[in-house]
Amino acid sequence: MSEAEFCDVGLYDTFPKVLAHNADKWPDEIAMREKSYGIWIEYSWSDYNTAVKQIAMGLRELGFERGQVVGMIGDNRPEWVQFEIAGQALGGMSIGIYRDCMADEADYLINYAELTMIMAEDEEQVDKLLELGDRIPSVKKIFYDDPRGIEKYDDPRLMKLSDLKALGAGRIAASPDDYDREVALGKAEDVAVLCTTSGTTSRPKLAMLQGGPFLQHCVAYLTKDPKLPTDNYCAVLPLPWIMEQVYAIGHSLVCRNIVNFVEENDTMMADMREIAPNFVLLAPRTWEALVADVRTRMMDASAFKQKLFNWGVERGMKAFEAGRRDWLADFLLFNPLRDRLGLGQVTSAATGGAALGPETFKFFLAMGVPLRQLYGQTELAGAYTLHEPDDVDFDTVGLPFDNTEIRIDNPDPEGVGEIVTRTGGMFLGFYKNQEATDADVKDGWMHTGDAGYIRPKDGHLVVIDRIADLAETNQGIRFSPQFIENKLKFSPFIGETVILGNKRDYLTAMLCIRFDIVAKWAEQNAVSFTNYTNLSARPEVYDMIEREVRQVNATLPEAQRVRKFLLLYKELDADDGELTRTRKVRRGVVGERYANIIDTLYSDRKSVHVDTEITFQDGTKSRIVTDLVVVDLGHDGGVGDTGEAGKAA
Amino acid sequence: MSSIKEGEVLLSVENISLAFGAVQAISNVTFDIRKGEVRAIIGPNGAGKTSMLNVINGFYHPQEGTITFAGKTRSRMLPHEAAAQGISRTFQNVALFKGMSTLDNIMTGRVLKQKASLIEQAFYFGRGRSEEIEHREFVENIIDFLQIQAIRNQPVGRLPYGLQKRVEFGRALAAEPELLLLDEPMAGMNLEEKEDMSRYIMEVREQFGTTVALIEHDMGVVMDLSDRVVVLDYGCQLADGTPDEVSASQQVIDAYLGVSHD
Repeated sequence: MSEAEFCDVGLYDTFPKVLAHNADKWPDEIAMREKSYGIWIEYSWSDYNTAVKQIAMGLRELGFERGQVVGMIGDNRPEWVQFEIAGQALGGMSIGIYRDCMADEADYLINYAELTMIMAEDEEQVDKLLELGDRIPSVKKIFYDDPRGIEKYDDPRLMKLSDLKALGAGRIAASPDDYDREVALGKAEDVAVLCTTSGTTSRPKLAMLQGGPFLQHCVAYLTKDPKLPTDNYCAVLPLPWIMEQVYAIGHSLVCRNIVNFVEENDTMMADMREIAPNFVLLAPRTWEALVADVRTRMMDASAFKQKLFNWGVERGMKAFEAGRRDWLADFLLFNPLRDRLGLGQVTSAATGGAALGPETFKFFLAMGVPLRQLYGQTELAGAYTLHEPDDVDFDTVGLPFDNTEIRIDNPDPEGVGEIVTRTGGMFLGFYKNQEATDADVKDGWMHTGDAGYIRPKDGHLVVIDRIADLAETNQGIRFSPQFIENKLKFSPFIGETVILGNKRDYLTAMLCIRFDIVAKWAEQNAVSFTNYTNLSARPEVYDMIEREVRQVNATLPEAQRVRKFLLLYKELDADDGELTRTRKVRRGVVGERYANIIDTLYSDRKSVHVDTEITFQDGTKSRIVTDLVVVDLGHDGGVGDTGEAGKAA
Repeated sequence: MSSIKEGEVLLSVENISLAFGAVQAISNVTFDIRKGEVRAIIGPNGAGKTSMLNVINGFYHPQEGTITFAGKTRSRMLPHEAAAQGISRTFQNVALFKGMSTLDNIMTGRVLKQKASLIEQAFYFGRGRSEEIEHREFVENIIDFLQIQAIRNQPVGRLPYGLQKRVEFGRALAAEPELLLLDEPMAGMNLEEKEDMSRYIMEVREQFGTTVALIEHDMGVVMDLSDRVVVLDYGCQLADGTPDEVSASQQVIDAYLGVSHD
């Protein structure tokens, strides 16, 4: 096994420079793989650099100038990454747009950043851009990779990516040194990436990240969690997101691990299993979905397999809690299960963005997946704290990187205050928004807006919630809605939740069932249903969810218990603006849209009539007429008789 | 591939009659299919639509009439002959190898294109190897075209019905047919699956230049997709023409859509 080695990012201080260096030194080493037509196609560092070079020179030929902005929209593909670095090689900035974003969101970002050249993967994305018509005047060219269905358009802005590359190849042949000259002009402090912030409350802002500091920050991360050139990484996080920029581009450039691109979103699990990545970062909800999926499948398995599974989990958990491994459970259950989930070769795994249920956390650790929590912000080049492998604690997010300083501002008597951070990879400011920059950055420190504290005994950072999201009831009880929501979501049957209670007399909840699991449960319990709305309204489902809520209530102080709840007729959806793209609840939107329902939760009424129209992704509309029943658990949140309910469950 | 050009007659059936004992399934039906068009055969249940497809690809042998395909006239077609000539089909009830994967099922569509000997195939050398690679590539193109990458290695018996239909469609395409016969390609599908299937049928024509003859019950689909429609009722030919002509024909309205009683 070779040692991890990092590129000298002091010398090679922009993405294109590191790429050229890697291509020069290790031309035939594999840099990327993409599954296409059922086969993993490999790209060496030299292929990677050549593609970037051709795209860059093509863009130059089409008049792209320093300081302009390139954009990418679509699924994760090698071309996406190549286009981004090509833009930076010419002294441009790049912006990634989420593939599932709606046309008007794309409109906003394109106009805000004044995009000139945009890479759209396929017809779906091209349609989105063409739909905007003349609302995006800055866009000069739209490149596409997958020509299927696009040939029918004759928009002069459209150009095939291969044609762009051919154009570039022509220019390279004519003046071979042009590209190197362009790259050499690039400086560490140039803004390379405009990264969208998640925008829980408003339109996304664009954090200006500079190439040099970004690479430095990647080195700081890798020092804590090294990767080898032979390590595999599967790029399944959205590329516009800061962490995928860090992993798929930053880390792979700095330590040359192999980045793998799956064939389609649908094939992700199977492709990941084929690759067996050495590192994964998944959102807490994805980790939970994995466990939920395993458990659902087990419900379908034979009695013998179920027994074996339960026995193995119990044994493995016990061994884990005693700080050892149980070889029999590993052999019979956990090793095959890890392989099945594509986690067979994982030497480092991470979760971040929100809390992960301790049960889930323990399950993976017991399984032998070295899961760790990380924490960070887009503005600070992503993660800047991480657990040490031998010091994982479910309640904390670990210790800061070497280049990171953290302090707590305005602490209350218990030490809880605002987390304020300074890192080497910190952003320059928000693009074209000095006001927002001044509000968040003071004397070079980023005010994160998160509430937390540093645990005195070991210096671990503990994150509680957004300060702005801490709520207070009329009785003056402070609580974190997200904290309670997460507790509820640890139930496999509950998908999304919204906890209400700010400036109200007591706490209530709007819950969304997790359809696939509840549907399976309904099948097994002979509960008939037609669709989501109908299933949510079934009294049997209500009873079952009520038991789950009571169990969560039992773990909360009385004032923070959910007193009333109802099951919503639809899932909360990012397309409706109810969730952010990273699936955080937008409380303002939810509060407005469901005002009627929320009022009912704080009245004496036992149900609320809903007559509304929902629009599906394909544009068809459907009318929903239903009555939502409100369950009142009483002052003690129904905890008094949990024992009995527990038995019934 | 035949030398017939776009828009010329690719297949014509003339005065076809078919009886099973005393039951007259088809009587005296004549129509043609032009290269590059989408041709629909519609009619109420028991009108003889599937029988007509079976006559075209040689499952049934008509007592009377002739079939002309690619310039060659004959009184009966044989199934293997039809396949060799470039006619492939899907079935009303999916007829796939349930225990085999999607990939393998579609690969079977390439069987007529394989020239390698049994030995070469069994030991995977010579033509056996090069052909396998070539055919796999073709099949992967179809998998990509039909967007079924995610089920590539799944046994088709475990797939939902809509996907099985898509796999069967893929297998028919794998034979690189000149004429593709689709027997109720959208039966039992939901709206979204129907829309997908319609798109694939349109794209097959654009991308592969395949001529399509289909039987379908969903009138919306038929009217949107097809260039010309032939209408059968109790084995007799009621009408033949563009969707507009056919849907304007009083005879068709009476027989197929029901006599109005206003």
